[in-house]
Amino acid sequence: MTEWNPKERLIRVLEKEEVDRPPVICPGGMMNAAIVEVMERSGCTLPEAHSDAEKMANLALAVAEYTGFENLGIPFCLTAEAEVLGSEVTLGNLSCEPKITKEIFGRCSDVETRDIKPLLGEGRIPAIVGAARILADRFPETPVIGNLTGPISTAASLVDPMNFFKDMRRDKESAHRVLEYVSDFLIAFAKAQVAAGATLISIADPTATGEILGPKMFAEYAVPYLNRLIDGIHETGAPVILHICGRLSSVDAQLPGMHSEAISTDALVNLKKLKRDYPTLTTMGNVSTYLLEFQPPEQAARSARSLVDDGTDIIAPACGLSTSTKLASIQAMTGAVRERTQEVYSMVL
Amino acid sequence: MSEGKERIIEALASAVLNMEEDEAASLASEYIAGGHDAYDAIERGLSAGMAEAGRLFEEEEYFIPELLMCADAMNAALDILKPHLVKKESASQATVVLGVVEGDTHDIGKNLVKIMLETAGYRVIDLGRDIAPKDFVRAAEENGASAIAISTLMTTTMGGMEEVVRLLEEQALHDDFPVIVGGGPISPGFARKIGADAYASNAAEAVRVVDNLVNRGTAERIAV
Repeated sequence: MTEWNPKERLIRVLEKEEVDRPPVICPGGMMNAAIVEVMERSGCTLPEAHSDAEKMANLALAVAEYTGFENLGIPFCLTAEAEVLGSEVTLGNLSCEPKITKEIFGRCSDVETRDIKPLLGEGRIPAIVGAARILADRFPETPVIGNLTGPISTAASLVDPMNFFKDMRRDKESAHRVLEYVSDFLIAFAKAQVAAGATLISIADPTATGEILGPKMFAEYAVPYLNRLIDGIHETGAPVILHICGRLSSVDAQLPGMHSEAISTDALVNLKKLKRDYPTLTTMGNVSTYLLEFQPPEQAARSARSLVDDGTDIIAPACGLSTSTKLASIQAMTGAVRERTQEVYSMVL
Repeated sequence: MSEGKERIIEALASAVLNMEEDEAASLASEYIAGGHDAYDAIERGLSAGMAEAGRLFEEEEYFIPELLMCADAMNAALDILKPHLVKKESASQATVVLGVVEGDTHDIGKNLVKIMLETAGYRVIDLGRDIAPKDFVRAAEENGASAIAISTLMTTTMGGMEEVVRLLEEQALHDDFPVIVGGGPISPGFARKIGADAYASNAAEAVRVVDNLVNRGTAERIAV
């Protein structure tokens, strides 16, 4: 029986190669597992770890060690990109994640584009890239996942979101111009993370959902800019995971056209059915975060087991975890994935 | 004359539904120039158009960009009609306190709920986003609200909703201020679990649910 290390296993899954069992991961970024229990036990805490490379790396390591997730994921928020592009951000505290307090531009037509290269030296970008380097150097056998906020979400954090949505209809030219700018910045940011040693990039674009945009806008705005971003990252050779929030029913037919190696989904999505409808997709998900916070650990284990049995390629939480999620539930989830394979093997033998 | 009035009212409804802001504004001016009652144009023109937009939203024909554009068309006409409105119904207008829970700065859904509630004739006290539980309770008391509506798009902040209900219970105010919750991660099951009085899955449904809540509240109070 071949044993792969966590990095090899995840890469093999993303390359559609056979593996002994699905990896169980929590990519980071919007979907990070920096829960209060881990921070209190390890002493690696937020908000400090948002802006210091060493502290960020240490927290990523603590998360992996305590939870059993088989990756190191950075950063721990969705705001680093918009902050560099000019929006006001508060970094929150131990139990409350960072958020945008004020978008810098009112309308898409107001957006002043800047040179992208110097932006990579600003805000928390150097800390994030630095953390990727520290982790990649120290842990060659564990995948380091660099996270990005997707183009639509970043644009809607740069321009007042209500106006951004309206501009998608009334001022398409400006909306496209902003998305081109944001996508090019995100490509450069992702390339810097990969150059520092990130194994792959995970993109979460919580504003780019079928429920918010509808299928036409999703096709006009979400798909092309996400693919442009993914293609840009692929130039480095690094694979990409794309997380799509919410119900997929109105846009699921567009998923096979996404250029990412894997699609991660929310808890509302039936991954077994998704796989049946679109067999070419590599699926990731989707243990309910509500379940991880409020139900007994055994439920998390049961959910993870059934995801494995349904043929889900990568097991992960379905969405951003609450900081008050129970560590025991996460451990039950990750443990169940590891045990499941051994059970299956012993049945075969 | 009344034929002209009805024609403009219908055209206002279509302008709202078709997201035609300039058209809605010029129709409103034409209507006022004709000396017609502003209330009828709001009630049967703008509200009807917005209600139809809400129906298309529920049927997944319209999505958030479309609904926002309809609201802009409605507001453009409303700005012109409002100064000509003869105040008559403000005393009986029910108030709803609305906000997004602390820790969450997403307010797309909340803004839609506000638009739909106002269109349906409610006075909405919009607290905004990132609101502490105690501020919901205080605003409800200060404004004599008929209901508190709370939204979140994040699983990480769902606990704030429970805290609002707990504060209301603690201060024996829950009977006065029924709570309706909604937003991406919220389910009817979660609403029941935290002791909320109602759940709505979208902005159009929120109006029907608040109608029910407010009427039921009145009935109960009368019964007592």
